[in-house]
Amino acid sequence: MKRTVTIASALLAVLWGAGTWGAEHPGKSQIEKDGYKGPATCEECHPGKTKEFLGTVHWKHASKVDNVDNLDPKKEYGMKNRIYTMCNGNDVVNNLKEIPKNADGKSKFTGCNTCHPGDHLNDVGSTGPAAENAIDCLVCHSTDYDFRQRKPFKNEQGQVVMGQDRSTKAALAIGKPTVKNCMVCHETAGGGVLVKRGFIFSKDTDAHAAKGMVCVDCHKTKNHKIPTGFDPNNWANDGLRVACGDCHGDKPHKSADYNRHTAKIACQTCHIPRTGGAVAKDFTVWEKGSDGFYEPTTLKKEANETVPVYAWYNKTVRNEPHFIGPKGSRKDGKSKIYPFKIYMGKAFYDKKTGQLLSMDFAPPMANGNTRAGVESAARTLGMKDPAAVAKNAVPGWQTIYFGSNHLVTKAKALNCINCHGVNGVFNFKELGYTDAEIKKLTNPEIYFNQLIEKQKEDW
Amino acid sequence: MKKSVAVLLVVAIVALGIFSLSGVASAEEIKMVGVITKIDIAGKDAKTATATLKDNKTEKLVVITINDDLTLDKFKDHRIVEGDEIRCKYEVIDGKNVSKLFRKTAGC
Repeated sequence: MKRTVTIASALLAVLWGAGTWGAEHPGKSQIEKDGYKGPATCEECHPGKTKEFLGTVHWKHASKVDNVDNLDPKKEYGMKNRIYTMCNGNDVVNNLKEIPKNADGKSKFTGCNTCHPGDHLNDVGSTGPAAENAIDCLVCHSTDYDFRQRKPFKNEQGQVVMGQDRSTKAALAIGKPTVKNCMVCHETAGGGVLVKRGFIFSKDTDAHAAKGMVCVDCHKTKNHKIPTGFDPNNWANDGLRVACGDCHGDKPHKSADYNRHTAKIACQTCHIPRTGGAVAKDFTVWEKGSDGFYEPTTLKKEANETVPVYAWYNKTVRNEPHFIGPKGSRKDGKSKIYPFKIYMGKAFYDKKTGQLLSMDFAPPMANGNTRAGVESAARTLGMKDPAAVAKNAVPGWQTIYFGSNHLVTKAKALNCINCHGVNGVFNFKELGYTDAEIKKLTNPEIYFNQLIEKQKEDW
Repeated sequence: MKKSVAVLLVVAIVALGIFSLSGVASAEEIKMVGVITKIDIAGKDAKTATATLKDNKTEKLVVITINDDLTLDKFKDHRIVEGDEIRCKYEVIDGKNVSKLFRKTAGC
């Protein structure tokens, strides 16, 4: 008996110790003693990590992309340089800066790379010791970061610098990134809270969050490289991928009938039945806000307010000036049916080439002149006769399919009748099925007995 | 008899009026966009806070009570500060304007 108690006590002590270790980052006393000196402090225990971080998408905002049409396989693409209509600017043409004064004589700092975890002097893709020292480790790793410090300002040389909280207080609260750390940047992408993705990662909106999981539980980071899925709209990647099956396997259901579906139906299709966020945005006409600055006109919905569109997807992407979306078919042997959030953006196209043009937001933000924004971007990109490019630019719409990979639900997942009912969520015709197949697929024969059994269980 | 019926009718109409009015007051969700002029929050462990918004349309000051953890956290770490423009939905509950949605209008 005594022995059992001793072993149990020892086990408890080990478990308690593990819990404590998990909760508190080691080295606290050293940081308290020496104070936080930026990445150099982190490097004392994590040598090589700053250099390592400079090679990731979170620092470079770009990577080589091998699954998207019409890209140069030798070049890197991402927020740094992409031209599309969710963010008609990018880090290059819409660099963080002080914009011209508006009609009220007011200016402000704004730009696409506001979220970049450097100090802006060492910006997207920069390398070397200065870049390593400019990394804002704490914005991702501290739970006690003071965001009043993370504001752009001009230094004595007139350069725009992004401030950081490098206080010892913030450094003493370091650890694995929390949901908040990730959402600081990811929730306000695309021009406002929940605009781009349209989801909030909370216990009310996501089954994983309800279990207490955090972003990096699925996006398991390896050497600062963060795995991503195959969102047709999200190109840059660290070469690591995440998928539901990594944890749930190929046969995640008790029902063999459901498990049979996983060969052709992505998990997201049944388990993410809703979407949200921006539906459409017009970059050609900006609206004046109460603060006297202009913003693109955006039509947006809350999380779970809209329904997805379903399409075959083989993880390769059609990329054209007026369309970015999934490639795939019923018969290619690689595709599954996935849900997508459809977004449509209006922006200016080059009259000569038909290519989508990008925009520097500084001019339109100050005075609503969107063609001036196109001209500025064309100049930055070295295009011939930027004034003529802007003057002759033609407005047009681009359709983008966003991957729908969050807002996961178990309780409200689609069941047989949601897809196989005659007014189900699938447009079987568009998915490539014949009339005879559709007749069979939407007949109760296919699900009747199973749902009757379920009905009996429920009642 | 006539008098009794009249009295009953009046009582019924008044009761119906009160009932319907109170129903509207408790269920109505009010939307506004305004700039924060003041935030009152009592320390890191606060479970509630108030923010005073200046309504962009009416220029009136509206005091909003915030109870949701996500927004409180943004007050505590100063992701939301005075001067930020906010899109807000609130309901009047026990005389307080209780926030149902409280988000900065600005993005990246």
